[in-house]
Order: sequence, then structure tokens, then C-alpha cells
Amino acid sequence: MKFSIYQESRQGPRKSNQDRVAYCYTRDALCMAIADGMGGHLHGEVAAQITTQFVAEAFQREAQPRLADPFKFLLDSITSAHHAIVDYANVRSLLETPRTTCVACVVQDGLAYWAHVGDSRLYLVRNGRIEAQTKDHSRVQILVDAGRVREEAVAAHPDRNKIFNCLGQMGPPRVDLSRRTALRHQDTILLATDGVWGPLSSRQICEELIRGEIIRAIPILLDMAEARAGKDGDNASVVAMTWADEYASDAADWISTVSMDPTQIKTTMEQFGKSKPPPGQAGYLTDDEIERAIDEIRNAIHKHSK
Amino acid sequence: MASQSNLPLPEGYQLQTYRVTKVLSAGGFSMVYLAHDDQDQPVAIKEYLPSSLALRREGDVLPSIAEENLATFRYGMKCFFEEGRALAKLSHPNVVRVLNFFRANETVYLVMRYERGRTLQEHIQQRRGSMKENFIRRVFTLLLNGLREVHANKLLHLDIKPANIYIRNDITPVLIDFGAARQTLTAEGFKLNPMYTPGFASPEHYQRRELLGPWSDIYSVGASIFACLAGAAPQAADLRVEKDRYISATKLFNGRYSDQLLETIDWCLQLDHAKRPQSVMALQKVLLRERDPEGPSKRSFVANLRGTLVKLARR
Repeated sequence: MKFSIYQESRQGPRKSNQDRVAYCYTRDALCMAIADGMGGHLHGEVAAQITTQFVAEAFQREAQPRLADPFKFLLDSITSAHHAIVDYANVRSLLETPRTTCVACVVQDGLAYWAHVGDSRLYLVRNGRIEAQTKDHSRVQILVDAGRVREEAVAAHPDRNKIFNCLGQMGPPRVDLSRRTALRHQDTILLATDGVWGPLSSRQICEELIRGEIIRAIPILLDMAEARAGKDGDNASVVAMTWADEYASDAADWISTVSMDPTQIKTTMEQFGKSKPPPGQAGYLTDDEIERAIDEIRNAIHKHSK
Repeated sequence: MASQSNLPLPEGYQLQTYRVTKVLSAGGFSMVYLAHDDQDQPVAIKEYLPSSLALRREGDVLPSIAEENLATFRYGMKCFFEEGRALAKLSHPNVVRVLNFFRANETVYLVMRYERGRTLQEHIQQRRGSMKENFIRRVFTLLLNGLREVHANKLLHLDIKPANIYIRNDITPVLIDFGAARQTLTAEGFKLNPMYTPGFASPEHYQRRELLGPWSDIYSVGASIFACLAGAAPQAADLRVEKDRYISATKLFNGRYSDQLLETIDWCLQLDHAKRPQSVMALQKVLLRERDPEGPSKRSFVANLRGTLVKLARR
């Protein structure tokens, strides 16, 4: 597999970052996930963390180095994340179960599979146009489907945050599965929370993606989303991947998994509670964190010195 | 601005299993020592010691850090960890190898393999530029192998310059000093003073740091090759953006180096990042291209000669 990948999560003007993003890949399979913990609910970020962690851990367990059935993997891992959130709330006797959205995507054999719950979105962008996208589980989407609200008016609609399907809700969530979709050279798959797609039109997203590689385009899109949302802005998070043909010369320094050890798994995930600290006490390192950083570096030295 | 300067650890000081031999270099952010391990092998040890925040006085080993500086001191430590993390993942003959990382004396230390040789900077100073083309091509082709590995790990070096290119005695280069290295994929942008060296840093080093990419290191590679020819760096990029006085290498060194090498330098030094080689591979391809014996340099020499003869004939 050959691809380029980028993820970024911004707190924006909110007090905490309740978005979580993660991706992992083995030689033969790639998995991306994003979750948006619900602000109105207690411990929203716990729910989002549990969800991305569950999906990532399930991938690490099951992708050896391929997933037997990507759709079953998505369905099972997202459903077990829901149960884990409910358990978390029960064990701690929380009055209200924390809730979160989730969208996750698997790429294997050049085919993409995705699943979602709630209003975090996945876009498949091909040649500067949206080839496919998820349909939000929100009231306003129902109105759009009924032809009573225009697509462009969704972001401004008073009901746009009201979603009827999420993880941690009463009763089992409905996990929507995509179709199996063959990827083409230079296709981009973008997973985003509503802090990103809300302030931006899909046209803006496509235009920026066609202008440059995701490593450059995503930070610009997040800047635009933050600027447009202003002080009412939300957490804004993206994980995006551009697919390349194995022998494409215009992607020479992208990630190529061909030479990876089949048992190796690479994971990139924000750590729990690692949302950006407010300026002033910016990133004060505790003794524990120092020890952990040193251990991590020493392990890496050891691992790579053979 | 009088800045306090730090005293190094004393000669012979036993730092864990290493014995300090001498100071190799001292900067505003760190000190580098030559030391010997318990097998008496030489190593280079870098000590995190930002002089504006921590002061080691005469006779002391522990630096004193004012209470109000402690948070910033520790924040800066993060950058040092970044360097350690960056290097730990890289195992390549043309990238400096990190051997150990530890905490002592209330600060942190990075132990690296000690290489014998001189920096490219020293080579340039000795020859006042005008290096042989074969030497340049050899050094940079190998160096780019190392840089490719850096980029493949989603890292940027961000401070490539002749002083950070070490030439071993067998004429193989090693990329050193990853103090400015940044993981392109981490969400947090460091707000601590970004480091760059005028002349070698790309325009996006100064502003629009969100545009930093492999092409930024490639600008610095171009500037370093330029310095091998000219004996000095090209005009600093921030000044070039205002008023570009850069004279193309093609013009400046016409006839003294192959056109292809000169064009490559100019290509790397484009102000617009999108116009530079976008990957190390693209640049390497050009540097490796066999020089056609009837290639541009010879032809232009003949052309020059013919031009001169024509002029003479007209007199």
C-alpha cells in the first residue's frame, strides 16, 4: 500500500478538546477513526477516547496483517466501543452516560470500507469532487432528505447539533455501513468532525484538497474553519489519507508499506487528556512525563539499534 | 544584550558511565561534550542547558534554575525530547546515531556516536568555496540518502547547513544536530523560538511555518551546495522575499561547474516552495544523472570560446 496520511485536532475556543483521532496501519491494511465526544454530556471526551482506542486496539489485534472481514471489523469494534462506554458509566454510577459520534474507515486491497454513527463525516474526494459522503444521523439531515432544507443551509440550522444516533445512547446504536469502494490514484478520504465541516462548504474542502497535498491542505482547512467559526467555534479534527498507486512516481516519499514486517503495526493517536493546555502553563512537564519520555526514547533506541 | 554564559561540566567528570573529556561546542540551548564510555569508546554527549533559563556557576555541577523559569525550562525540554525521539527512530549510515538518553543533574542528556572528521563548513572555509564538482556530488548524493530516511519517518530536519553536515575521514557525510527537527505529524506547533540559520533557512522557515515540508529542507540543501561553490551562503530568504538579490548559480559560476549542477542549485533555491524539487528522490535523480561527456558544461565552454573568437575577429 502506498499513501500519505495526516491528522490534526484543534481545541478551538472551547474549554476542552472532546475530539479524538487515530490511525493505524499494517503492511496490508489501514484504519482511521475519529470521534466527537458530546459537549452537552458529561465526560464526552471519555466516550470519544474509549471509541478511538477500541477501534485502534481491535485493529491491532485483528489485522495480522489483514482483516478477515473489514465490515464485520467496523461493526464489531464500534459496537463494542458503545458497550464499553455504557460499562464505564455503570461502574462509576454516572447519572448520564457519556456520548460520542464515530466514523471509521478501513482500506485493504485498494478497497475502502467505512462506517459511521452520528454526525462526524467521511468524504471521498476524487478529482476535486465529492465522490461519496456519509449521511449525518441528525434531525436536520432528515429535513434535507425530505427536501425541506437545502444542503448548504445545514450549518446554520438551529437543529444542526441534534443527532438521534450516537454511541453511549440508550439502546443499541445504528452503525451505517458504506459500500465497498475501489480507490483510485490520488483519491483522498477525509474524516472530519462537525467543527470542520460545519463552517466550511464541501466546495471549499474540495478546492483546498486539489490545490496541494493533504499535509499542507488540512492545516489550511482547519485555519479556515477556525477563522469562519470565530469565538463560537468548536473542536475541529481531521484525519485524511491520499491513496497512491504502488509505483506512482509523484508519491515517491509517501508511506509505502511494501517493506514492512507483516507483524508490525504503526499507530498514531492523541493520548488521553493530551488536549492542548492553555497558554501560560503551556505543556508543563511533570517528573512522570519526563520519565516516560526518556523510557520511550530509550526503547526506540534499543529497538532500532539492531 | 549580555547573555549569561554557562560553565561546562569539568574535564574528567563522571557522568553515569561516561567520563567527560572536553567540550566540543556550546550553544544557547545546549552543550556538546566529547566523552568516553566504560569501554573507552569516544561518544558525543549533548546536554540540555538553555543559558537564558539555567545557569551553571563556577564549581557547581547542578545548574541553578530560578523558580519562575522552571516551567519554561521544562517546556524547552520537550524540544530536546523531540530531538531524541527523532534520532532514535533513525538508523542510517548518513544520519548521526543516538546511543543513549538519560536524566541527570536535573537536566537531560543525549549520547551520540562520535564521528571523526570535519564539518562541511570547515572544508568550505579551508578552500574558500570552489570545491570540486565530483566531491560535491558524492557528498550530497550520500547525504540525501540520509535525508530521505529522515523524511520517510515523517520528520523534517529544518536546520541543514554546512556546519551540520559532518564529513568523516573516509569522505562519507553524516547529518548531525537535529535540534530543530520537527515531527511533521504532531498536532502541537511549538511556540518556543523556532531555530533557523539565515542564508540556509527557506522563506517558509521565517513565515508561514505551516508550509514547511520536505521542500524546506531541500532549499537548505541547495543553499549548502551554493556555499560549497561560493564560500558563503546565498542572500537570506527573508531579505530575498523583500528584494531578491540572489544571482543565479547558472550565471555566477558559468563554465566552472556543469550547467546541470548549477541549474539544480537554482531549482532548489526557488522562493516559491512549489517550484522546488518536491521530494529528495526528485533531487537525487538529478544529482545522480550521469554527466554526459558531451554535456552542457563542455558545450557551453565551446560556445563561450566561439563567442570570444567571433568578437576578436570583428575587431
